Amino acid sequence: MKNNNSQSWTIQSTRSVTDFKLKQILNYRYLIYCLVHRDITALYKQTILGPLWLLIQPLLTTGVFTLIFGTLSKIPADGIFRPLFYLSGIITWNYFAECLNRTSTVFKDNRVLFEKVYFPRLIIPISIALSLLFRFSIQLLLLCTGIFIFHEHGTDFQYRWTIALLPLITLLMAFQGLGIGILMAALTAKYRDLTFLLAFSIQLLMYATPVIYPLSAVPVNLRWLILANPMTAIVETFRFSFFGSGSFSWINLLGSAATTIALLFAGLLAFHKAEKNFIDTL
Amino acid sequence: MTKIAIKAEKISKAYFTDKIGTGTVTRDFERWLAGIRGKADPYLPAEPNSENNFNASQKVFWALKDISFEINQAEVVGLVGHNGAGKSTLLKILSRITTPTSGKITGTGHIISLLETGSGFHPELTGRENIHLNGAMLGMRKSEIKREIDAILFFAEVEKYIDVPVKRYSSGMYTRLAFSIASHLYSDVLIIDEVLAVGDHAFQLKCIKKLKSLSRDEGKTIILVSHNSENIKSLCHKEIKLTNGQLSCQ
Repeated sequence: MKNNNSQSWTIQSTRSVTDFKLKQILNYRYLIYCLVHRDITALYKQTILGPLWLLIQPLLTTGVFTLIFGTLSKIPADGIFRPLFYLSGIITWNYFAECLNRTSTVFKDNRVLFEKVYFPRLIIPISIALSLLFRFSIQLLLLCTGIFIFHEHGTDFQYRWTIALLPLITLLMAFQGLGIGILMAALTAKYRDLTFLLAFSIQLLMYATPVIYPLSAVPVNLRWLILANPMTAIVETFRFSFFGSGSFSWINLLGSAATTIALLFAGLLAFHKAEKNFIDTL
Repeated sequence: MTKIAIKAEKISKAYFTDKIGTGTVTRDFERWLAGIRGKADPYLPAEPNSENNFNASQKVFWALKDISFEINQAEVVGLVGHNGAGKSTLLKILSRITTPTSGKITGTGHIISLLETGSGFHPELTGRENIHLNGAMLGMRKSEIKREIDAILFFAEVEKYIDVPVKRYSSGMYTRLAFSIASHLYSDVLIIDEVLAVGDHAFQLKCIKKLKSLSRDEGKTIILVSHNSENIKSLCHKEIKLTNGQLSCQ
């Protein structure tokens, strides 16, 4: 038996706006593990190809992109072998888009559960971000395989220091999807209209991110617009870390990191406030 | 030598029947700013009046009005009242599913609550997987769940169906498993809504026996909706009676 009989608590209408109780989340480590495990194993139950879907989706998208943007409209690709250029953009973008998409509806999707059991609600978005990281790492292996197979196609891959940036970018990418996602979750719990807006905003936002084109192909006077999107620096740095070409600057990366932290904080504030009473309004 | 486990001071709960928040985004924003500055909410609904709970002009429904009570450790408390008296709202507030509009509750120890049938089971997962998931949601570690799993299954009488998805369970099995999980895992306070009404008579007696031993031997505080069952009433040390969201004499 646990010896925490003296652990006291208070329930009241007002509570600290910034006390997110992040420490409390650590007590629920096993719940996070269970949710991530369920997410990974249950997703492909009753499918014939199973986990192969993790690879089919980015491969097909890469094929279509190579055909349309590479062959038909001939947008430059920073001298990177085209399929690898698109694949690298797709897997980072997919992580972000999927993370944002799924975390933004946590209140709506888990309403029945949240009505019955109390646990820190933030655990659900965190476990979504983690289980998507698993998917991301599988697709990362696919990219590495691609680089290995096609290394003679002008993308001479060497071990550069830049690969050390990868963990940092992954962390930023996860925080960004999570931060914007929980911010949206809080807002959509209250104003349902946003759900519709969000779905196509994510689609449109892809065109404001250098997924199908490199930043260097954007006219100089429009670059600020593309750089205002915090995902831009992440996709560009991601490519730079693998291929060593493309535009990379510490300033852009730092700007993106600062935006990410601001968004995550705003998201925590809003989520913390929304989780209190959303069950009465949803 | 009795220790107070839960103390509620003047809790009230208002439900808005037609608006989202204050109704407009600018007012929501003002309210939010006031909250950050630590000022009072400028759009707080009017105080509940004693005659009726539903304020038609403001479209506010007061489910609970100025409830205060104390519950001692190891006490079994029965919650009684008609439908709509506020029993479930009170239990939801105690379980942190929602927050009170005003008032304060203080207490000590870990709370486990069993609000409605199922308590968040995932229909596709098996009995075993659900015990783990449910236990984890109640704040348990893997080792704690593993230690109790045999006892949980034995008590719920579902050992044979442990690897069957719970969507194939009967509603009785569902309820038995939910009750078994909540009563076997570690807690200081156990909150039980009208769950006991669902199971058959034999299981109900078994639950009552279990609850009795939890309070007497393990010192757990138990709060349950007792309704009109004499069996459950005999278990309770005291009653909290709610009428139209207000406390009647105990």
